[in-house]
Amino acid sequence: MKKIVVACGSGVATSQTVASKVIKLLKERKVNGVIEAVDMKSLDRTLKDKDIVGYIAITKPYKEYPVPVFNGIAFLTGMGMDKELDKIIEVLK
Amino acid sequence: MELLSTIFQYFLDLGAAVFVPIIMIIAGLCVKMKLKDAISAGITLGVAFVGMNLVVGFMKDAITPVATGMLNSTGLQLDIVDGGWTTMATISWSWPYAFAIFPLQIGINVLMLIFNKTKTFNADLWNVWGKIFIAVIVISLTNNIWIALAIASLQIILELRSGDLHQKTIQSMTGIPGVTCTHRTLFFGCILYPFDCLLKKIPALNKPINIETLRDKIGIFAENHVLGFILGCIFGVIAGYDVGGILNLGIKCACALMLFPMVSKLFMQSLAPISDAVSEFMQKKFAGRELYVGLDWPFMGGINELWIAIIFIIPMIFIDALILPGNNMLPFAGIINFSLAIPALLVTRGNLPRMFILCLIGAPVFLWVGTAIAPYMSELARATGAIELGVNELISNSCINAPVFTYGFGQMFKALTGDFVPLIVAGGWTACWVFYSRYLKKETARLEAEEKAETE
Repeated sequence: MKKIVVACGSGVATSQTVASKVIKLLKERKVNGVIEAVDMKSLDRTLKDKDIVGYIAITKPYKEYPVPVFNGIAFLTGMGMDKELDKIIEVLK
Repeated sequence: MELLSTIFQYFLDLGAAVFVPIIMIIAGLCVKMKLKDAISAGITLGVAFVGMNLVVGFMKDAITPVATGMLNSTGLQLDIVDGGWTTMATISWSWPYAFAIFPLQIGINVLMLIFNKTKTFNADLWNVWGKIFIAVIVISLTNNIWIALAIASLQIILELRSGDLHQKTIQSMTGIPGVTCTHRTLFFGCILYPFDCLLKKIPALNKPINIETLRDKIGIFAENHVLGFILGCIFGVIAGYDVGGILNLGIKCACALMLFPMVSKLFMQSLAPISDAVSEFMQKKFAGRELYVGLDWPFMGGINELWIAIIFIIPMIFIDALILPGNNMLPFAGIINFSLAIPALLVTRGNLPRMFILCLIGAPVFLWVGTAIAPYMSELARATGAIELGVNELISNSCINAPVFTYGFGQMFKALTGDFVPLIVAGGWTACWVFYSRYLKKETARLEAEEKAETE
């Protein structure tokens, strides 16, 4: 199954908040996909997983990543959320 | 009334893994969750408690012999187990009145927005536990719930003020508009600020350093499994284990540090629907008004200097623990110390040499405060069964957020029994906060002027 990761400082609070929110929104739109909260420190290692098709960042990305990067802040503030969700769904299809 | 308190007591005696989920399900239904979803979230919360208990128990079993070994071989008494912030959050959520902090935070925030006392909406409902944490410390000293709620309210107000004051600085450093950080961890900045004022006067410290690639090179040492393994091996050496024992302890410690976040994110999973409902309510209520959305700190995690400082703090806090008088804690699960690195980052605006020196100055505070609050957190853990502890076992955290504020305001009521130290610390913190606020206001004005000049 296609997987998207969200990263925060320790992979516990902020990333899981965003992950839970995206999971809920995907369910409402009847789209399948795994959203997983991970630890920013291990992000590079995590991204080597071939199932991962996207990375939801809650920071300004400081370098290039091998997968599409989405704006996670949108899911925390609600601003521009639908647009980011559409992009995520596009990748998961 | 008698009957009510008997029923209440009955539920409390069932232990945190049962009564907190019951409260959670009721709270979920109050924010209009479906019964099915509320029960699912409740069970997940119970699983989080039992899961954390398993991991903490495993960690204690691995590390307690090390502390004993160290006592025998070196005479160092480091018998307080460092469970990190995830353990503190677990114990905090087990406080019977924990969920009362949600309406308290939202209520205060709404009032302050209506009366234009803040521009920030604190959307970080996970860190409600930080208010529970200080309330728990207050209540174990005063046994008075109203005083505990008053101190928690003070923290809620200060977090919003801090969000307002830091917004421009954070925006200019992260490049992310419209958000700010409402985490109490920023409170420690006011203690570091006077030192930074002195350091700014030394020209050698104020040259820019290029660290673009450094993060990728040394970052591996901060990954949980690698860090846990290294720490475990060092513990083994100090405790005088043989090679097999050292390597085994290394793997066990790696396991503990890897499992902590895996289990504690279950707390967030179960609390997410409540947090969601509140955010949506606030966004609707204040739609059309320009607000800063207050978030937990990780949106600042894109700044490389932060990670370099965090890695620098690891050996430093470890060495401090061995040589610092008045410390009884062996740093472990709290050793990734954001609580020190973030305020240092914001105060210096990312100047690494000054960050390093500020971290050096600040580190002992975390060990002392961790030692000081250990009895209170251990007592609550025992009372609610959130974490199983033996009679003489103590648990704490080596990266307590806002340590000076927490110690001062959490324990100031000790003055009633003749111990005036925490009260004096609270006064000192307040003075530093006023001083630091003035600087932040000036910074805000400066950055706003810059913004204006750019758009014109």
